Amino acid sequence: MEVVVTGAGVVVERGAETHLRGALGLDADGSVPLGHLPEVVRGRASRAERVTQLLLAAGGRALATAGFDAAAAAETRAGIVVGTAFGCFLTNAAYQRRVAAGGQPAASPRLFAATVSNAAAGELAIAYRLGGPAVTLTAGGASGLTALGEAMEAIRAGRADVVVAAGVDATGDALAEWLAATGGAYGAPPAEAGAAVVLERTGRRGPEVCRLAGHASAFEPIAAACADAGVAPAEIALVVSAAPPPLASLEARALAAVLGERRRRLLIPKRVFGETFGAAGILGVLAAGAEAGRGDPVLVLDVCPTGHVAALVASVPEAR
Amino acid sequence: MITGCGVVSPLGGGLRPFWEGLLAARSAVQPITGFPADDLDPHAAAEVRDVTSSDDDRAGAFALEATAQALADAGLEPAALDARRLGVALGTTLGGARLFERWLDGEAVGDPERIPYYAPAVRVARRLACRGPVVTPQLACASGTQAIALAADWVRNGRADVVLAGGADLLCRFVVAGFNCLRATADRARPFDVARRGLVLGEGAAVVVVEDAEHAARRHARVRGRVLGTGAAADATHMTAPDREGRGAARAMQAALADAGLDPAAVGFVSAHGTGTPYNDAMEAVAIARVFGPRGVPVNSIKGAIGHTLGAAGAFEAVLCLQVLAERIVPPTVGLAAVDPACAALDLVYGEPRPVAVDATLSTSSGFAGVNAALVLGRP
Repeated sequence: MEVVVTGAGVVVERGAETHLRGALGLDADGSVPLGHLPEVVRGRASRAERVTQLLLAAGGRALATAGFDAAAAAETRAGIVVGTAFGCFLTNAAYQRRVAAGGQPAASPRLFAATVSNAAAGELAIAYRLGGPAVTLTAGGASGLTALGEAMEAIRAGRADVVVAAGVDATGDALAEWLAATGGAYGAPPAEAGAAVVLERTGRRGPEVCRLAGHASAFEPIAAACADAGVAPAEIALVVSAAPPPLASLEARALAAVLGERRRRLLIPKRVFGETFGAAGILGVLAAGAEAGRGDPVLVLDVCPTGHVAALVASVPEAR
Repeated sequence: MITGCGVVSPLGGGLRPFWEGLLAARSAVQPITGFPADDLDPHAAAEVRDVTSSDDDRAGAFALEATAQALADAGLEPAALDARRLGVALGTTLGGARLFERWLDGEAVGDPERIPYYAPAVRVARRLACRGPVVTPQLACASGTQAIALAADWVRNGRADVVLAGGADLLCRFVVAGFNCLRATADRARPFDVARRGLVLGEGAAVVVVEDAEHAARRHARVRGRVLGTGAAADATHMTAPDREGRGAARAMQAALADAGLDPAAVGFVSAHGTGTPYNDAMEAVAIARVFGPRGVPVNSIKGAIGHTLGAAGAFEAVLCLQVLAERIVPPTVGLAAVDPACAALDLVYGEPRPVAVDATLSTSSGFAGVNAALVLGRP
């Protein structure tokens, strides 16, 4: 069953927003743009930690473009699936540094409450009164596309009528130190982003941004995603590549094995957006949607040095 | 189908000490000895003591041990499985937190790649040479429940034949200081008791083998139970306090029952989240009574026995449900002596184990940021 994207919202590093129509860039002072959010949401967002701000900025934009507003009645059939590689890593570091220095008396209840990676999804649920399933997951650098796939399943299985699917990660000193300690296997320079889409069943309400046909999350997901989509690998017109440099040849071989040797147009969004971790997969879908011919199936990949890989087949509808 | 389970609990390594300890109403809660905790107040917890391991990635070590037990229990040899059809769904709220504490402090840690939340699942996946889906659900204290729900979805949708699913978490200064600063802790957990003051933390891992029915039948596997239905819902009200009316928890339970195609009356036992905090237990009493009617079903909590094991809690409670289905007896709620009038709508099992007629169970979990998840299991 196809699932339709009816809204999208993206926040990327300042300057990178020019590469995707409708995207927002970080403000000049580095803060997350919140001015587009309804007043009631903006108030909560301004007090929140950064991952939550990125999710609210992207998710709020996606909901608005799909025609939802924060003042609407509570939606118990509206759910959330968020993918994040590092989640609350930076909050954990801020919280733990205080505990290490001052012991229990220095522990901050406010920070501790946000040391769960699902804090951002909880804030989005509260802000827009979304009472359906609220799921956060991590699959390393493939978290975003994995979350998008699970959001498709929630729609297919009838667990929700509407799902906000998002990928998000923030960067900061503690994460940069950790990436350095692990040898920088991710490749492209770390960058912040939040990317969100609103999913609905075909023909439910909002305008169609693109259609999601099939997905898979595994070490070898390409063939499975095509099969799930009912798309022959030969039909794939455009491929979004995502492998960090150490895995690039592996990705190329996997693509050749499934798609054949004929060269496809290749899109590498990380070249302009940087390594946005959890946000990369959904940024890839939206970037592909902007580039693909109408009706052409596109294959989007999300690849992490841990071995987490996700693949998704989407298309832009022929007539909007 | 669930064809195997493995447990590393504060009551001992393996399923038998866990189950026998629960039936005997043993509590594993003691003053913390695994790390310096004298300055933490309170500093009682349910530690895993008999897994001797030099492995400094404690949650990962628990997860590997529980996985090995679960595979052996299921009679599965990972090398003999189709790696592309083998998945891992493992919840955690802390993962490599002890390594994280040391690393932030400037100490060298063996492998910093074991710090992120996805690390325990990646470690298990690599050990099994797994090439199917690998995901770490992040639903705070409902992570273990959601992991099993995710695994069941993958099997139902044909994305995997065999999934190792559950949760793993560990005790550390990070989390004990955190719950203490929220004033959510006590020296003893007394779920649903009128004198309850807060939760007591625990640690460990529980893992089940979720297997496609045909795959299990082909190899004549013993079936421990079936995943009949799963559900999740957000409170969408407050970040740390549960919705007083229990609406989100009730919606998750109702969604799981609808997914199973069961009336509430078909459920013979409910494993409550039952943390022993004043708000949680009162909220759950409202939510469970809303779904099952007043005193409509026997209920217990095992958090007085093994503490609140956070991301592993829902997985431990799934194993509890499998044992209740097999043995038709419900262990008592350790720490409960006098039921809070606010929880009088629950038919709580306490004092002694209670024999029950049961063909289906429901386990409910809730967590920070208003997450709720529920799991309905049935007899083979």
